[in-house]
Amino acid sequence: MQLADVAPASTEVLRIQGLRKVFGAGEQQVVALDGIDFSLKPGELMALLGPSGSGKTTLLLCISMILEPSAGAITVNGIESYRDGWTRGLDARRFRRQNVGFIFQGHNLVPFLTVLDNVALPMVLTGLGQRQARARAAELLCYLEVDHRARVLPATLSGGEQQRVAIARALANDPKLILADEPTASLDSERGFKVIGLLKKIARERGAAVITVTHDERMIEGFDTIRRMKDGRFAPSPIAP
Amino acid sequence: MDLALQDIRRHLGKFGATIVGVGLLLAIVLTMNGIYRGQISDGLWLIDQVGADLWVVERGRGGPFNEPSKIPEDVWRSVSAVPGVKRAGPFITYTVEREVAGKSQQFTIIGYDQRAGLGGPGRIVQGRAPREPHYEVVADRKIGLAIGDGVRLGNETFTVVGLTKGAVDLGGNPLMYLTLADAQDVLYVQDNEALRSQRASSLRTIEAQGYSPAQAQKMLSLQTSDRHSMSAALVELEDGVNPEAVADHIESWLYLNAFTTEEERELMIRGRLVRMTATIGLFRVLLVIVSIVMISLIVYVLTMEKVKVIATLKLIGAPNWVIGRMILEQSLLLTLPACGLGYLLISLGIGWFPRTLVLLPSDTLITFAVMFAGGVLASLLGIWQAMKTPESLALGG
Repeated sequence: MQLADVAPASTEVLRIQGLRKVFGAGEQQVVALDGIDFSLKPGELMALLGPSGSGKTTLLLCISMILEPSAGAITVNGIESYRDGWTRGLDARRFRRQNVGFIFQGHNLVPFLTVLDNVALPMVLTGLGQRQARARAAELLCYLEVDHRARVLPATLSGGEQQRVAIARALANDPKLILADEPTASLDSERGFKVIGLLKKIARERGAAVITVTHDERMIEGFDTIRRMKDGRFAPSPIAP
Repeated sequence: MDLALQDIRRHLGKFGATIVGVGLLLAIVLTMNGIYRGQISDGLWLIDQVGADLWVVERGRGGPFNEPSKIPEDVWRSVSAVPGVKRAGPFITYTVEREVAGKSQQFTIIGYDQRAGLGGPGRIVQGRAPREPHYEVVADRKIGLAIGDGVRLGNETFTVVGLTKGAVDLGGNPLMYLTLADAQDVLYVQDNEALRSQRASSLRTIEAQGYSPAQAQKMLSLQTSDRHSMSAALVELEDGVNPEAVADHIESWLYLNAFTTEEERELMIRGRLVRMTATIGLFRVLLVIVSIVMISLIVYVLTMEKVKVIATLKLIGAPNWVIGRMILEQSLLLTLPACGLGYLLISLGIGWFPRTLVLLPSDTLITFAVMFAGGVLASLLGIWQAMKTPESLALGG
């Protein structure tokens, strides 16, 4: 049995302790993350603010087992993925499939799959039958009010619709943690607010913890936690929402 | 959910056009294979079809196909008398360019003796072999004549009495079979105007040396060329006779060259065929290399076009085999139908091709295997590239 299959015993979806990430060595050394500590509860919404190069995306990459931290510990959904080294026997892709949902700035839908199949894909990859996966994908599209576009290709959708489909895909395997990297960056304000509204709805109704990286401070209203990053560190204390 | 098939379904036009392009390229490669084998087949066809045990030619010559050989006609009777020879026959061959069947075309005339029974047309697909001593021909279908048609050769008109199929010389030119005497006439007898002109020229040359016109007229008759020559004598040996021994005997006693069929084939392969086939062989190899490079590039580009999709798939947790399968499957779905199309095109077009095409299944299979390997190799490169693609590429705008 993979560690990712172990049911979480913790009430925390994410716990990060003393996370540090250093790129390069000697004079070329760049500290991308330094002493990051925080945790998220189910349904908690966290906004991550900060200028480019402050370490926001690096933090998401470390949480999702794409980038190996230099030190610290990461626990997602009760599974300790990192503690001074990746946990042995933990398959990063499987870990991501089962525990983390991603929402990208550029939507990143597979252009040759229909909207329905884009949402069904993560479930098929997890081993669910195609019929069941498509049925659940249809439910998710309905939940995100984009089910009327299920049979078309992503290229025919508007930016807002594409982002809704991307959110549906992120929810496919019912992850407890959703990482959204600048999800509103390619949208106008109206659509941006709608997407943020959806993330709040997901956190509230489905109990998923959401970390949203954004540059746009208008979008963070109503978030439970707002963290500002600079030079790989969090600001001394969370900003009051 | 088959990602490769879904991709193809959404880009059917582009994928179809690529298959057609690669298929055409493969058809060209197969055509070159066919030309290569066809040249060898044409070069050896006549030797194999004649089936003589020995080819007797002019001393010191590698004829009758690799270089001209001219020996007196009655030599074949002397050869018949050599111990171990069952029968012998005269054989003459030369290429002509004539207006036949409404167009100027090149073909090769074969002259043989019907009674000797060697060197004549093999399988006649329509009509019969020449029975009369004169003015009957058997022509290959490729010349475009029909039974009963008249053919003007030299000063006479010949009647087509039989047709062959696939009877060609080493250059792929169709053959026309005549009796020996007719073939000699067509080769040596000039038309009246040419004869008068040549006689006048010869008379002037003789008179210029101080002879009177009357003396020159008398001397001119001595210059008459001998028409009774041939290219080779064909020999069939008695059963159990050593061909080398008979060849040695003919070479020593009749002062001629004698080649066994195997030696004649070797002369052809190492002589005239070697350069022709080497050139085609080179083109063939270059074409195969170009095709492999093209297929590889197409497969590689197809993979590179999907690099962001691959990064996304990796990020959402797709295992490597899902990505590898998508790339490999697309490569196979490109190369296999292209191979099929190439084969279909060459199969449909083989009858229309102006030269002899010989498609050996082994050549076709090897070509397809090489193309297939190229496609798989390119897929592996693509997969390697895909494995290297960082998931982080999916992040950002």
